[in-house]
Amino acid sequence: MPKQPPEVRRYNFNEVALGYSAESAVEEAKRCIQCKKPLCVPMCPVEINIPGFIKCIAESDFIGAVRILKDKNCLPAVCGRVCPQEEQCEKTCVFHKKGGQIAIGRLERFLADWEAEQRELEMPVILPSSGRKVAIVGGGPAGLTVAGDLIKLGHKVTVFEALHRMGGVLIYGIPEFRLPKVIVTREVEYLRTLGVELVTDFVVGKTRTIDSILEEFDAVFVGSGAGLPWFMEIPGENLNGVYSANEYLTRLNLMKGFLFPKYHTPVKSHRRVAVVGGGNVAMDCARSALRLGAESRIIYRRSREELPARLEEVENAEEEGVIFDFLTLPLRYIGDENGWVKAIECQKMELGEPDASGRRKPIPIEGSEVIYPLDAVVCAIGNSPNPLIGATTPGLKIGKKGNIEADEKTGATSREKIWAGGDVVTGAATVILAMGAGRFAARSIHEYLCSL
Amino acid sequence: MDLNSVSQILDFAIEKEEEAAQFYRDLAAKMSQQHVGEVFESFAREEMGHKAKLIAVKRGDMTLIDSQRVTDMKIGDHLAEIVLSPDLDYKQALIVAMKAEKAAFQLYQGLASATDDANLKGILLTLAKEEARHKLRFEIEYEENFLREN
Amino acid sequence: MFRVIASKMIVPNMHLLTLAAPAVAREAKPGQFVILRAEEEGERVPLSLSDWDAQSGTITVVFMSIGSTTGRLALLAPGASIPTVVGPLGNATEIENYGTVVCVCGCYGIGSIFPIARALKRKGNRVITIMEARSSYLFYWEERLEAVSDKIIHITRDGTKGHRGHAGRLPEILRGLEEPVDRIIANGCTFLMKRTSDETRPLGIKTMVSLNPIMIDGTGMCGVCRVTVGSVTRFACVHGPDFDAHQVDWEELLQRRKTYMPEEVVPLRTSRCEERHLRSQEGKS
Repeated sequence: MPKQPPEVRRYNFNEVALGYSAESAVEEAKRCIQCKKPLCVPMCPVEINIPGFIKCIAESDFIGAVRILKDKNCLPAVCGRVCPQEEQCEKTCVFHKKGGQIAIGRLERFLADWEAEQRELEMPVILPSSGRKVAIVGGGPAGLTVAGDLIKLGHKVTVFEALHRMGGVLIYGIPEFRLPKVIVTREVEYLRTLGVELVTDFVVGKTRTIDSILEEFDAVFVGSGAGLPWFMEIPGENLNGVYSANEYLTRLNLMKGFLFPKYHTPVKSHRRVAVVGGGNVAMDCARSALRLGAESRIIYRRSREELPARLEEVENAEEEGVIFDFLTLPLRYIGDENGWVKAIECQKMELGEPDASGRRKPIPIEGSEVIYPLDAVVCAIGNSPNPLIGATTPGLKIGKKGNIEADEKTGATSREKIWAGGDVVTGAATVILAMGAGRFAARSIHEYLCSL
Repeated sequence: MDLNSVSQILDFAIEKEEEAAQFYRDLAAKMSQQHVGEVFESFAREEMGHKAKLIAVKRGDMTLIDSQRVTDMKIGDHLAEIVLSPDLDYKQALIVAMKAEKAAFQLYQGLASATDDANLKGILLTLAKEEARHKLRFEIEYEENFLREN
Repeated sequence: MFRVIASKMIVPNMHLLTLAAPAVAREAKPGQFVILRAEEEGERVPLSLSDWDAQSGTITVVFMSIGSTTGRLALLAPGASIPTVVGPLGNATEIENYGTVVCVCGCYGIGSIFPIARALKRKGNRVITIMEARSSYLFYWEERLEAVSDKIIHITRDGTKGHRGHAGRLPEILRGLEEPVDRIIANGCTFLMKRTSDETRPLGIKTMVSLNPIMIDGTGMCGVCRVTVGSVTRFACVHGPDFDAHQVDWEELLQRRKTYMPEEVVPLRTSRCEERHLRSQEGKS
């Protein structure tokens, strides 16, 4: 897969991966042996007919391929870029053992991009109006998937989004260089052309409660995500220059702060930034800081092998010049006389004895404290669901981590007519899992609406 | 506080477990988020379980097993003291518990070093280890849920 | 898009904007705020609600033209549209029958305290409003506030109306009322609220303020609005914006509000003409 070379891409916010050409795509697709019992399909959370679309590509029937792909995936350009295929469909490919698995994700991306370049988009079949109305809380991957599925089944769908653009993490969380926003806009517009009503600047729980909405709609799906940031609860966390990953990324991605002052949301030019955390969000923050001209480092409690981020993104970060400090734990922020963070004190860790599960846990090393001078710290250690929906919807059962409790297979919650899926149920996870949850919930909602 | 016999020490420890359970129950009642209240209720029940165990030990139905070293993950140590307020979340609840168990551990350790009686020292150190085990249980839960960087 | 119904400067540098935002107007309560964007490239800024009409579906905000975004909002004409108005956000001010409530307000706080005073009056409170400004020509909405207050007291720096001075005169004014005060509510700039808090703390009267940290989303997502109240970190957008003044870490709030001062001066220094010129240059290259 051609990529921008690291020494070039670390200075721009353009997409890193450059995508297949039609020739490369066909060549790759021809490698697929079309297994009789494909091992890739069961690994896909949205059940895409993978061998099906690959066969079409191999035959240069791109239109046919798109039809098959979009039958199950209404956000293919997004998934082709951010889905961890290496943990899902590509992992079980028969060629995986020899390291030669079919590049399913890249083919998916190729198709979605190819379709976008075509003038005419093929409209899918939409069933006649059922007379039923569904409200969706949250315009992120889960909500958009439910919208796409239900609109095709003839129901009237309205998506309520708190921010001023649809997309959820796709628009505020994932940076431009991993997922260009023009793609998210395109995928969202596609839903609009199918007839989905998209309402932004609408905070369900504040602008209207779910119960108020149920007076007008037959069912509600809650896909409000996990947007509440975690802070480390160490001294100095309110110093100027300490950001949550959400704030940092929202300024850059949603508010396009990297184009400041053309876009008015200010973003500071830091010289040295430390990002605490090891997931995809941490990688995104560190790579963004780098692009803004800072010396950028990741501070992570464990070792490289245990980083939860996608390996591809870790490698990209390393190539671009992000510094990695493993087995390091922040103890406190140190501020200057004006209330600005000027350093972070950390402790080095070592892996202790294996516990009952056999995993070695990191233990602090006495006397190993080290101080890193810097002028900004981004806390990218995780998020949990925003408590607003739970607090304003009586009878909705909330779990101890603040997540909405929902049935794994159907997304049904403790309240009749209310379904939930995605990060608000599971805690922060991946885009594709949210979409899968949306798929199951849509099925259950449809069954319910048909029974009315 | 008379701690001159194993029996008296166990009474003291049983009292401490009851206090801990009450502490968590009081917090549970004050929580603005119901699911966090339920978390504290579950901690209170755990303390009642410890209390029951110590009562059984006193009766002679059980012995406190003095096992090997208990791991100290030191997770709570550098975290800022959580100011108790009704708006705590699950994460903060675990930190409160970790620090409370650590305080109990330090209490028994302190008492153990204050006595020369080998028998009493022994039981106090064992009780300290029990508290260290409780602390570890909260540290593991904290690690599982909040140090997994999602 | 949200249409501008009315836009005017009510006293020097203080602007009033009435916007068509029916969903917000329907749910609005005193003490809540909205987040606005003046244009597509604009930043998201929080402004307290000063009035609303659920029937006609309009909301009114009063703000000082002090920065790039408020500057642009001030220039809007009726009929224009802005891309974002979201709300009502934050928790409504607690309104109970406390007895006698003193409402202290200054600059944009005069606007935002109006609906609070109105609600307090409706709930049966005795409402005493103390308005503070540099000079008498900066007072506005006096008739509106008179209609919902049992007494109005003025404080001006230059002595052109009422008591001469600033919030430092509060203890003396409160003593002069010769009646017990059950609660104080202060709205206005950080300094007014902080000074009110400092002066009322020794008097032991519960004082509530509406904090104004930097915000982006306003729904609890980013944490930039975090303030320390009673040693606990709180998000002003979801736990506030009202807090117990005597518990607020004012120094921290003042320090955090300065975060973008260098960056915020740049847009102010670039005139519209220069902007247009730069944009036309971009188009050529």
